[in-house]
Amino acid sequence: MRKQTRWMAYLSIVAMLVGSLQSVQAQPVTYRIDPVHSFIIFRVKHLNTGFAYGRFNTFSGTIVVDEKNPANSSIELEIDANSIDTGNSQRDDHLRSPDFFSARQFPKITFKSTRVRKINDTTVEVQGDLTMRGVTRPITARVTLTGKGRNQRGQEIIGFETTFTIRRSQFNINYGLNGGLADEVRVTFAVEGIRQ
Amino acid sequence: MSVVIESMLTAGLAALAAGVLWLLGWRLRRAHALLSALGVSVGFAVLYWRVQGRPDFPPIDATQWVFWHALFALPIGWLAGIAPAYRWVWVWGALLGVLWLFVPPFRPLMESGFWSLTAGVGYIVGFALATWLLMTLTAPLGEERGIATPLLMALLGGVSAGVLFYGAKSASLAQLSGTLGAVIGIGVPLAFLSGFTVGRGAIALTMLLYLSLWTTAFGFAQLTLGQLAVLYLLALTPAMRLLPALQRQSPVVRFALPLAIVLVVGGAAVGISYSAYMAQGGDYYSY
Repeated sequence: MRKQTRWMAYLSIVAMLVGSLQSVQAQPVTYRIDPVHSFIIFRVKHLNTGFAYGRFNTFSGTIVVDEKNPANSSIELEIDANSIDTGNSQRDDHLRSPDFFSARQFPKITFKSTRVRKINDTTVEVQGDLTMRGVTRPITARVTLTGKGRNQRGQEIIGFETTFTIRRSQFNINYGLNGGLADEVRVTFAVEGIRQ
Repeated sequence: MSVVIESMLTAGLAALAAGVLWLLGWRLRRAHALLSALGVSVGFAVLYWRVQGRPDFPPIDATQWVFWHALFALPIGWLAGIAPAYRWVWVWGALLGVLWLFVPPFRPLMESGFWSLTAGVGYIVGFALATWLLMTLTAPLGEERGIATPLLMALLGGVSAGVLFYGAKSASLAQLSGTLGAVIGIGVPLAFLSGFTVGRGAIALTMLLYLSLWTTAFGFAQLTLGQLAVLYLLALTPAMRLLPALQRQSPVVRFALPLAIVLVVGGAAVGISYSAYMAQGGDYYSY
């Protein structure tokens, strides 16, 4: 009888532990964007002929993932406008100038999500405010979960990718719109986050 | 429409607007001081609108203050026209007015941390003093007859466009500077009309707008302090014609000397900026 009581006690402790672990998993998890394994690239059509590609090399941010209630998920991103890199230093200087990003006055490009909606198990729709050159506009992007795992340090990591198109004229970046460079800019954001 | 044709159309429209107002001022002598400045003000506003689009007010993008300078500085241009009769009003009114104009465009650079507060205040006061001095020294040229002054000032626009294009790496500021040269350049054909003068206000306001463009390129693009200083010294060149030593010379010498300086020094400044541009990275980038 005494043995049976002891086993019951053990089982209830294990059950409590499992239960508390499950509740920990259900909490929103914060990931810090790993800049080494994340990329922000863009493309824009030049002279209505070929696509010019570029990237931003310096950025930071956090992603909060709530698997149980995706509406509680969020993302914040801050990009250093001066870190623009198109593989040509003269063009990069021009892009930093007042013709484009005016990076001395507006050194940061920011994104802050305002709403996250689950589409399916691997896709969410993220709405948020993109601020560039002092102008804030709402954008919507479909974000796909690309994987989960652990890095070499044993840290939990998660990957997402999204591609969306913006009109640069909406952010007062109007240089060369009359045939030089297209208004539409396609942006791809591929991110890897490290659990905090 | 190609960029070249569009630029020419823009310059033509802006010059036409300025020219009509100057002709009106030439006929209506009592309104000459105001219409002289108004010609530049309207001409520059037209060209800015066509090159850059409609600016915000107050501007989010600080480089848009250049447009508002053309309008807000109109009283200063008018004051330059009547300055000989109201010397102290010019000294204090114009100086404080220019200082007031230079604060809003450069405040964001201090807020973003690109300039420290001390450096920012120093630059703003320095720009204002330099602009006021340039306006004071060159405004009397507006009373001279002949093509010399409008031609020299139009060339200044061309030279500064080259330096801003290759040195500051801003095509739009270069285009604004070059087309401002075209606006003042309309004074060249008008100078063949008997007794025509562009007026003190037109010269003073054009100089203020050149300085507004150049200091914007220094603050927000990549114009160096050295390049800014060279452009400033070139802007002083037309005033050489008023030096007593040069006034004793023949009209040909009075015209040829500042012209040679603008062409040689200005040409060298554009050439050096171009070489530095081409040397950077060794790879060619066409806008």
